[in-house]
Amino acid sequence: MLAWITALASRTRAWLSAQRADQEFENELEIHLEMLTEENIRRGMTPEEARRAARIRLGGHTQLKETNRELQGLPMLETFLQDARYAFRMLRKNPGFTAVAVLTLALGIGANTAIFSVVHAVLLKPLPYGNPDQLYNVFQAKPQEGVGGTGWSYANFTELREQNRVFSEMAGSQQHQLTLTGRGEPAVVNTSVVTPELFSLFGEKPLAGRAFFPEDGKPGAPPVVILSENLWRSSFGADPNTIGSAINLDKRSFTVVGIMPVAFRFPLLTKSEQLWIPLVQDPLFGGWMERRGGHWLQVTGRVKPGVSMTQVRAELDAFAARFAKEFPAENDGWTIRMVPLQQMIVGRVRSALLVLLGAVGLVLLIACANIANLLLTRATSRAREIAVRTTLGAGRTRIVRQLLSETAVLGLLGGVTGIVLAYWGVQALGSLLPENLPRVNAIRVDRYVLAFALLLSAIASCAFGLAPAWFAANSNLQSSLREGGGRSGESRNRRRARSFLAAGEIALAMVLLVAAGLLLRSFSKLMSVSPGFEAQHVVKADISLPRFRYSTPQQWAAFSDEFLTRIQAQPGLQDSAVAVPRPIADGFINLGFDIVGDPPLSAGTSRTANYVSVSVNYFHVMGIPLLSGRLIDRRDVFSSSRVTLISKTMARLYFPNQDPLGKQLSFAFPPDSGAPREIVGIVGDVRDVALGQDPGPMMYVPYAQAPFWGANMVVKSTLSPPSVASAIRQEVQKIDKDLPVTDVATMPELIDASVAQARFRTMLLGLFAAMAMVLAALGIFGVISYSVSCRTNEIGIRVALGASRSSILRMILRETLALALAGMALGVPCALAASRLVGHMLFGVSASDPATLAAVTFALAAVVTLSGYVPAHRAMRVDPMVALRHE
Amino acid sequence: MTGDKSKILQGTLDLMVLKTLEAMGPLHGYGIARRIEQISEEALQINQGTIYASLVRLIQKRWISGTWSTSDNNRKAKFYSITKAGRKQLHTEAQNWERISTVIGRVLRIAERG
Repeated sequence: MLAWITALASRTRAWLSAQRADQEFENELEIHLEMLTEENIRRGMTPEEARRAARIRLGGHTQLKETNRELQGLPMLETFLQDARYAFRMLRKNPGFTAVAVLTLALGIGANTAIFSVVHAVLLKPLPYGNPDQLYNVFQAKPQEGVGGTGWSYANFTELREQNRVFSEMAGSQQHQLTLTGRGEPAVVNTSVVTPELFSLFGEKPLAGRAFFPEDGKPGAPPVVILSENLWRSSFGADPNTIGSAINLDKRSFTVVGIMPVAFRFPLLTKSEQLWIPLVQDPLFGGWMERRGGHWLQVTGRVKPGVSMTQVRAELDAFAARFAKEFPAENDGWTIRMVPLQQMIVGRVRSALLVLLGAVGLVLLIACANIANLLLTRATSRAREIAVRTTLGAGRTRIVRQLLSETAVLGLLGGVTGIVLAYWGVQALGSLLPENLPRVNAIRVDRYVLAFALLLSAIASCAFGLAPAWFAANSNLQSSLREGGGRSGESRNRRRARSFLAAGEIALAMVLLVAAGLLLRSFSKLMSVSPGFEAQHVVKADISLPRFRYSTPQQWAAFSDEFLTRIQAQPGLQDSAVAVPRPIADGFINLGFDIVGDPPLSAGTSRTANYVSVSVNYFHVMGIPLLSGRLIDRRDVFSSSRVTLISKTMARLYFPNQDPLGKQLSFAFPPDSGAPREIVGIVGDVRDVALGQDPGPMMYVPYAQAPFWGANMVVKSTLSPPSVASAIRQEVQKIDKDLPVTDVATMPELIDASVAQARFRTMLLGLFAAMAMVLAALGIFGVISYSVSCRTNEIGIRVALGASRSSILRMILRETLALALAGMALGVPCALAASRLVGHMLFGVSASDPATLAAVTFALAAVVTLSGYVPAHRAMRVDPMVALRHE
Repeated sequence: MTGDKSKILQGTLDLMVLKTLEAMGPLHGYGIARRIEQISEEALQINQGTIYASLVRLIQKRWISGTWSTSDNNRKAKFYSITKAGRKQLHTEAQNWERISTVIGRVLRIAERG
C-alpha cells in the first residue's frame, strides 16, 4: 500500500514536470546510444554500422520514450485529457451539432436544477431549528366525525405537557395580528401567542434581553413581549434601549424583554417582522385558557432522544383515554396524533412539487434521447474513422472510453450552461412562486443544488452516451471499412435504436402533454366557475380594533355602526358593508348547530355549517341573491329577537322536503351562545372556502347581533381601490386616530391569489410539456431527415423508375406516422397511469378525461407529421440525376 | 501489460538490476545492461532499452536512486545506486528466489527420476 502511494506520488511529480523528465530521458538514451556505438566501433564496425547496430540493440526509440512516459506519468488521466482534448476538437468541428446538443441538455439540466432548488428548499432542507427531526406537531382529531387535525384546549395541553414521559419539551402557540401604536403610523404586526416554553423548545437564545420565563405565562403576570430582530430594526430603528421600554399592542402597554435573532423564525412566515407574547396576555386567546373544550392551541413537541415512535403513540393514546374518561363532555371520541413538524409545514405542497420534479425529469429524459439520437447519427458517419482506429490497434475499451469522454465533455458543457440557466431560472421562479408556498425564502442555488446539477449531467452523459458507444464498439469492422464510411451503411440495429428513441420521445412528450392538458382544463374551469358573488369592483379593507379598549360586543357593534354610517355617507362608498369572515379572503368558521325542536342526533353524527356575521348591506354589495324570505335589515339590532339566513345548500341538506323559514337554529358561539335564531331567509350559495371547493352549508347572522372586534369591510365602488382606501382611512381617523386600515385589496385580486398555487403548477407543467413537445418534434425531424439523406440514392432510383413525387412524399410521411403511432401506442397507457398522479389537483375534470386525451393525441400527431413533412418535402424534390451520382 | 509471462520477466529483471547495483556500486544504464549481459554470459540478450523501464519502476519504489554525474571518460551520465530499502528488498527477494529455485529444482529432479 505504502509502496503504491509513493509510486503514485512520484508519478504525479513526474507528470507535473513531464516536459523536463522527457528531455532528461532523451539525454539518457542518447548517452546510452553513444556508449553502445563506441563499443561497436571498438569491435571493428564502421561508424555508420556501429550506430545502426546500437539502435537495434537499444530498441525502438519512440516506443521506449512512450513506455517511459506511461510509467512516469498518470496514464489514465493522460488518456482522459487526450480524449477530452480530442473531444473538444471534434465538437468544435461540428458547431451546429454541439450547439444543439449543449443547448438541449442545458435546458433540461437547467430546468431540473431550478425545480430541484425549490424541492430542496421546501421539502428536503431540514427546518432551521436544532435537531429538527425530533420536532413534531401534536394534534387532536375526531376521525369518526371527519374532524382532522385540530388544536388543543389550554387545559388539556398543560396536563399533557406536565405529565407526559416522552417529550422533553412542548409548547403551544397561535397566530394572529395585533395593532402596534405609539410609533408613527399605527401598524398591524404578526403576533405569535405562545406558551413560555416555545423558545427553549426550539433551543434558541435571544439576540438581546431574555426569552420568556415560566412566570410570564401565569395569570396576573405583567405583560411582556419579545420582538423579532427585523421588527426591531424596521419599527424601532434598532434602538438598543428598546429592551425595557414599553410598547402599545391593541392599546395595552407591553414591556419589551427580548429580541430574537433573524435566524429564528416561528412560525415560518413569509414576512420576518413578528413578535411573541405570552398566551395569558392575549386579548383574544387569553380569554379561552380556562375552558376545557375548544381546539385552538397548536402544539409542538420535542421527542426525547431514544424514545421510539411506538412508545410515543402509546403515551398519546393513554392521554386521550384519560381525557375522555375525566372530561367526557369535551373529550369523548377525540384522539391524539402527531406528524413531523416538517411534514406539517410542507405537507400540502409536497405532491405538487414532486409531480413537477417528475415532469421536469421527463423533459431531461427526452433531451437525452434526442442527444443520443444525434450521437447515433454521428457515430454512423464516423464508423469509418472508428474502424481505422481499430485497425491501427485501438482496443474496444479504448474506443468506448474515447466516445464516452466525448459525451462526458458534452455533458459537462451542458451541465455548466444548465447551471447558468438554473441561476436565472431560480430568479424567474422567485417572482412566479405563490407567496403562500412555505419556506419560499430558503430557495437558492446552493452547493447541494450544484452537486445535484453536476450529478445530473454525469448521469445524463451516461444515458445518452452509452448506446452510441456500445454500437460503435460492436460495429463490424470489415463492413465499415468496405462501405467506405458512406451513409447508406447504417446497420439495422442502429436504425432500430434510433426509431425506438424517437418513439420513446413521443411517448414521454405525450405523458407530459396529457398531464399539462388536464391541469390546463382544470384551471380554466376553476377560473370560469362562479364564486356565488360578484367580485368585480369590490374592494376589501381591514380595520382592526384595539381589543383592550373596545372590549365588549356592544362597543364593537357601536363602532361598526358609527363607522358604516360615516363611510356610507361618502360619495362613491354608499355600497359598503362589514362581514366576518369574507369569502375567499378570510378563511371560514365552521360551527356545529342544533335545529330547535328536532330530536337529538345519534352519537357520532353532527350538523355543521360555515358561519358568517354580516351587516345590513352585505348581500347587496356582494351580489348574493335572496331566494326566499327576507334579508337582514335595520330591524335586526342587538336588542331584537335573533334571526339568521341560510344558504341554498344548507336548506337542501338539513331541511329536505320542508320549508326552513320560521325554523330555529341554535349554536354555541359567543356572544349569544345557545340563543335560538329564527331562519328568516334563504340566499344563494357561495364558494367561501376556495374556488375549487363546492359550496357547503352556510348561515348568516346580523352583525349587530353578533359583532366582532374590528371591521372587515367590503365596498362596491367605481372609484379606484387606492381612493377607496384613502377615503376609508380619512373617516377612520376621524373616529380614532390610532386605528390602522390594512390589507386593502380587490376581490378579483384575492381570488387570483387564492389560485396562485394552481396557476403556478399549471403554468410550469405547461411549460415543461411545451419543451417536451418541441424536443420530441426536433427528435422526429432529426430521425426522418437522416433517414431521407440515407435513402437519397434509393429515392433517386425510385424517381428514375417512374415513382411520382407525391408517392415519395407519402412514403416518407408514412414512415413518420409509423413512428408517431408507435410512440402514441406506448404513450397512451403511460399517460393514463401518470395522470392519476395529478388527479387530486384537478377541478371539474376527471384524470382520464377523454377530451384531453383526444386533443393531445391530435395535436401531437399534427406536430409530428409537420416535423416529418419538412424532410419529406425535401425527399420529394430529390433530383434523380444528382441522387444517383451521390456518393 | 500482456499476461503473466512478462510480469515474471519484469520482476526478474528488477531483481537483477538491484543485484548488479549492489555488487558494482553506482552505474549508468549502459553499464547495468552490459553487466547483466556479461554475467549471464550473453545468454540473456535483452533489448538494452528495457532496462530503463525497470529503472523507473525501482526509482518509484525508492529502491534505487539516480543522479547525474560525470563518468570515467568525462561524459555526463545518470548514475543509479541502490538505497537502503533496495538492499533490504534485494535480500528478501534473493532469499525467495533461492528457496523457489531450490524447490523447483528438487521437483524437476524428482520428476526426471520418476
